[in-house]
Amino acid sequence: MATRYPLYLCLALSSAWLMAPPAFAQADPAAALDQLSDAATGTGSGTALARQQIRSGDLTGAAATLERVLINHPDASDVLLLHASVLCRLDDAGGARLEIDEVRGRAIPGQAWAEATAACGPIGRPGRGG
Amino acid sequence: MTDRMGTNRMGARARFLALAVAVSLAGTAIAAGQPQIVGINAAVLNNVRIRSAGAPQAHIAVVRQRVALNDEVQTGGRSQLQVLLLDKTTFTVGANARLTIDRFVYDPNRSARSLAASVTKGAFRFISGRPDTAGTTNVRTPIASIGIRGTIFEGVVGQDAANIAAGEPGVGPRVRSDPATASLIILRGPGRGTQGRVRPGVIDVTAAGRTVTIDQPLRAVYVPAAGMAPIGPFIISPRGLQQVQALIFPGVAQAMAFLPNDRTGTGFVPPETGGRRPRYGYPGYPEPGGDGYPGRGGYPGQGGFPGQGGFPIGDLPSGGNGQMSQDPAGKPNQVQPNQGQMGQGQDPAGQSPGGQSPGGQGPGKKLKSPAAVQAPGPTPTPTPTPTPTPKYPGKP
Repeated sequence: MATRYPLYLCLALSSAWLMAPPAFAQADPAAALDQLSDAATGTGSGTALARQQIRSGDLTGAAATLERVLINHPDASDVLLLHASVLCRLDDAGGARLEIDEVRGRAIPGQAWAEATAACGPIGRPGRGG
Repeated sequence: MTDRMGTNRMGARARFLALAVAVSLAGTAIAAGQPQIVGINAAVLNNVRIRSAGAPQAHIAVVRQRVALNDEVQTGGRSQLQVLLLDKTTFTVGANARLTIDRFVYDPNRSARSLAASVTKGAFRFISGRPDTAGTTNVRTPIASIGIRGTIFEGVVGQDAANIAAGEPGVGPRVRSDPATASLIILRGPGRGTQGRVRPGVIDVTAAGRTVTIDQPLRAVYVPAAGMAPIGPFIISPRGLQQVQALIFPGVAQAMAFLPNDRTGTGFVPPETGGRRPRYGYPGYPEPGGDGYPGRGGYPGQGGFPGQGGFPIGDLPSGGNGQMSQDPAGKPNQVQPNQGQMGQGQDPAGQSPGGQSPGGQGPGKKLKSPAAVQAPGPTPTPTPTPTPTPKYPGKP
């Protein structure tokens, strides 16, 4: 009978593993968030993700993505302008105008201004741009 | 003999079952003892620390680090953090802030979520996660509770809230505030004209048993101190909003050089002297009236953002309802809740400071500090005496 105890122990451990709650058994629940964080480490990858989210209608997700990028790259004027265009799409035009004003005079690609215009309507392009 | 063997087998089975149950319970206990992961640090700037529940000391926060229930997030000067929760809800906290996720229950299969968080200090920005998620979401400050229905909103708690509110025509410098707990809440959207898979946002701000509902972007509510009813809703001024942004995004504020002379380390710069004396007798604050955003009325549907060109963020235009007028008798001032939205359509054409940037008044302008903020009390409050503050160079 004693020779069967190891078997019982293995069965008990297996049973315990199966009976344990999901948090004890499943993988890291936040693993999917790492990709979102990683995408924000670069302006290119971050804006690409944001544009993808915009196309899919996830505007709040796009705003959050761009804010992550801005934490990592606070001087990225084109990212701030894209964020402003997202605010316009979210009907926060007043907040968008403040951000557009912040990039006044900075060199920003014409495509970024075109995006902002598409989202916010015709706007006077302040300052010089690229 | 047979009976004895049967008894032994039954005993072995009983021992096996007892062992299985014990090991299982032990595993459950271990799992229960582990912190409940609710999200990650999605972005970190400068000095951010996290103190786990029950831990004596905080540790330095890093990107991708897991955030657990009841972890207290603390940011330092010119620091920032974005916490990304499992349902994609984000908390972005600015400098010198403290945030704790108090409750988070999320079932992605049932699109259900229950979230409660508390911000005891500093500025933050909240963006709801999945828009189709049902459940309750609540953010608390020391003196106010914000019920959230799918939205983006910002808040400031503490001295900075009192300073910003003092510069708001909807509040004014004569409201007595508690510098430790004063809470300024601003709805940012989505507005009714939103696009995409989002619904217009609504927040309910409750304090002292009174609830104020906000359902339009850039409307704000201010709670000066414990036991005081919310003031508002009022339209946050461009300058006030800019100061809030500088608190939440100190890196952007510094990089864009629109608040370059902050010496507090918080990203906050007091309201700029407007160069004229408002009717309520305190220099440095814009006069009530109009929402101050460029483009007459400022918001879509209220006068037209598109096509106006230029993005002036100068002084608010004159006009308004005069509710902040000076008390000629010098009586003690009381909290004067804003009785509605301010100044819509009161900006006659040509009076807006079109084209002015925040720094458009040029370098060398003297700043005046915001109102001397005092704890609530029955004593009369004299007109605050401005103190010298850093100069405010103009924007390029």
